[in-house]
Amino acid sequence: MSEVRLAAEQRTEFGKGAARRTRRAGKIPAVLYGHGSDPKHLALPALEFARVVREHGQNAVLTLDIDSATELALTKTVTTHPIKNYIEHVDLLLVKRGEKVVVDLPVVLTGDTAPGTLVAQDATSVQIEADALNIPEQVEVSLAGVQAGLQVHASDLSLPEGVTLVTDPDTLIVAVNAAPTAAEMDSEAAEDSDDAGTTEES
Amino acid sequence: MLIPRRVKHRKQHHPGRSGAAKGGTRVTFGEFGIQALEPAYVTNRQIESARIAITRHIRRGGKVWINIFPDRPLTKKPAETRMGSGKGSPEWWVANIKPGRVLFEMSFPNETVAREALRRAIHKLPMKCRIVTREGGEF
Repeated sequence: MSEVRLAAEQRTEFGKGAARRTRRAGKIPAVLYGHGSDPKHLALPALEFARVVREHGQNAVLTLDIDSATELALTKTVTTHPIKNYIEHVDLLLVKRGEKVVVDLPVVLTGDTAPGTLVAQDATSVQIEADALNIPEQVEVSLAGVQAGLQVHASDLSLPEGVTLVTDPDTLIVAVNAAPTAAEMDSEAAEDSDDAGTTEES
Repeated sequence: MLIPRRVKHRKQHHPGRSGAAKGGTRVTFGEFGIQALEPAYVTNRQIESARIAITRHIRRGGKVWINIFPDRPLTKKPAETRMGSGKGSPEWWVANIKPGRVLFEMSFPNETVAREALRRAIHKLPMKCRIVTREGGEF
């Protein structure tokens, strides 16, 4: 993963009013912390940061220019608005070159399975440990032409060299099952519902 | 229809309707989902109706998840009754939905059919909704 350089400003005023003013000015409130240092409150350019997340994924490593100093940071949490989908806040983790970090890696399914099957993805990401500057963007699982009955566990994923799996290897990632019939779908719904009525606890 | 088996109190105050959803705002189980854009009380009848609309359209080969549960009772006084003499009797079971909440999710191989099924389900619901996908619409 390539490093991305972003110019960040230190924030001097805090609270929701200040955060809203920052957002109106086309910036995203962010906080940078890690390695026992005091947290730094920053404002990142909104459009540029959104582009970075879009192109490099949520584990992007940023080189931040903060008032003539540079810091290496990993995107830890991106908080988005539930409806409007813009980025509300970002947590950045301070990292050093050569340091190993634990991150969530997205699992992406590719290819179409055989007809009459239904893909159930149980886990959308796995935890890995990798060099901070060499975090893969995603891990792909090919399901092209796969028949019903296949199960892919975390241990089956092909991870790049230097990346170790932190998630339990037995974790189910994706299962390819036979597609349920209409009767099965109705019976499943009937199990969920219970028309016996409600009783009050005494 | 969905209904709680046991409740602590048979009659409750009306649930608050302000604010946006705090969780359950992303598609996590299936590939497509219905997201609420307005606050609403969704009754168990409406949930069941929407579920039937989805399953009847896709017929077979898909899976549907219902992410909400109608756990709040609403009461109603009988018609032409004078005010007073206590709270009315429980009439509906509702899920208190805030904007942003994903109500239904589904997996289906054909996206066009899946979207049409969800569109039909949206017509059974009492608020504005939109169809969202697992990875779509990010930033």
